[in-house]
Amino acid sequence: MNETILIDESGKRTDGRSIDELREIKLTIGVLKKANGSAFIEFGKNKIIVAVYGPREVHPKHMAQPDKCVLRCRYHMSPFSTDTRKNPAPSRREIEISKVIREALEPAVVLEDYPRAAIDIFVEVLQADGGSRCAGITAASVALADAGINMRDLVAACAAGKINNKIALDINDVEDKEGSADMPVAYLPNLEQITLLQLDGILNKSQFTECLEKALQGCKMVYEIQRKALMEKYFGNDLSLDDENTEEIKE
Amino acid sequence: MLEIKKKYVIPGDVIVEGNYKPLMNVIKKENSIISTRIGIAESSKDGIRVIPLSGIYIPRINDIVIGKIIDNSSLSWEVDINSCFSAHLPAQDVFGRDFSPARDDMKKRFAPGDLLTARIIAFDRTRDPMLSIQERDLGKILHGEFLKISSTRVPRLIGKRGSMIQTIEQATQTKILIGQNGILVVSGQNHEGMNLAFQAIKMVEDEAHTSNLTQKVKDLLNVQDESPQKEGDNTTVGKEGYINNNENNSETNDIETNNNTSEITISKGESS
Repeated sequence: MNETILIDESGKRTDGRSIDELREIKLTIGVLKKANGSAFIEFGKNKIIVAVYGPREVHPKHMAQPDKCVLRCRYHMSPFSTDTRKNPAPSRREIEISKVIREALEPAVVLEDYPRAAIDIFVEVLQADGGSRCAGITAASVALADAGINMRDLVAACAAGKINNKIALDINDVEDKEGSADMPVAYLPNLEQITLLQLDGILNKSQFTECLEKALQGCKMVYEIQRKALMEKYFGNDLSLDDENTEEIKE
Repeated sequence: MLEIKKKYVIPGDVIVEGNYKPLMNVIKKENSIISTRIGIAESSKDGIRVIPLSGIYIPRINDIVIGKIIDNSSLSWEVDINSCFSAHLPAQDVFGRDFSPARDDMKKRFAPGDLLTARIIAFDRTRDPMLSIQERDLGKILHGEFLKISSTRVPRLIGKRGSMIQTIEQATQTKILIGQNGILVVSGQNHEGMNLAFQAIKMVEDEAHTSNLTQKVKDLLNVQDESPQKEGDNTTVGKEGYINNNENNSETNDIETNNNTSEITISKGESS
């Protein structure tokens, strides 16, 4: 079989990265004024905006749960996010990704704290370049924190995969299409729990272990970026606690 | 007794390890206390808590809130209190125990759109919050301008024993009513004062976590730097039938100072 060359002799990938290097990530928090929480992530060429509304009243009312909050999630790709126009109607793929994003975030949110309420998450992909579900989860978890929703941990997500028979971190669009495996993973870094694990392709046992290990390392790197973005947004660069400030907040 | 003092935290951060009691916005996992919000962690002898820096208002019993009447059934009013739960004000609370839906016209007391201050007297996981106006100074708000801020900024807007709000009120000659749910009603004689008060409130909201905020607000309002307690004697002059909220609530830390024009009152439920 004639495989496309995705890694050259010097070990560089199509976009110039090494085998265990992430794409450049930029995370901005609080970009939408009307949403309770929001975030904008640039994950390589991916550009995704996430809005969180709630906790708020549930409509339709019959969806409300008496003992906990309902988490609703919509993942949507804009018509202009891909090379050829994407039909804006939710596709089978988008419905599935909405579900997996919701399930990746649910274990982190303390749903029991908001009975009879709903939290809505809107993930809008403005520009897609492979790995948009991971970028979406990463941004959504930060937006949830920005909305002041009780969370057990942040959720960091990152993919790993197999290209040219080598395990590589953070698969981009070309590598996803031409490579032989793609494995997105979402992870709670402090609780050390995995909340999403999908695999498209074939890996043997040792490759699987290596791939998962690599993805988890990627998640930890992503977490550091999330953490830094949140700290900067809320506490600025001045990380020293001065007493006057906190005293007044306490009152 | 505890070595940790104050600490900036984000969800998932371990605040401290050991056998401490989780109080607010924290969870206990095995032997460690974990924050669930972005905020400032602190410890007291009772346990560990996090003061959040973002989030919507979640009702708590004994809070004083400002709400808007949305609708009424034959036995109660529905009140929007800027939360994910809408509150109920029972008609019996307003008309007394011999309330009869046939005799008393509920629309005469509160019509949809009316603003009121009320105390939350009951709320738990299973039921929506219940309000009461059975106290002096609670009830319908007759005039003033309506303003919403984030409820996490309310303690900061009030300041240390009311210092921030006193500064703003004195400098702008306004009266500011504050609900714990982040709704404010500002009233004053002149337009400039009101505008200035809005600016100051906005500044507090935007820059709540920055240091030296009181000074910044004073600069904005052109206040000379002297302690407000020194001027004037501490007698209260109620000029109009305006809602104020003092002595009889043990929970509220009220501060009244007087200028010759206005009475200043802060309705502040305990915020711990």
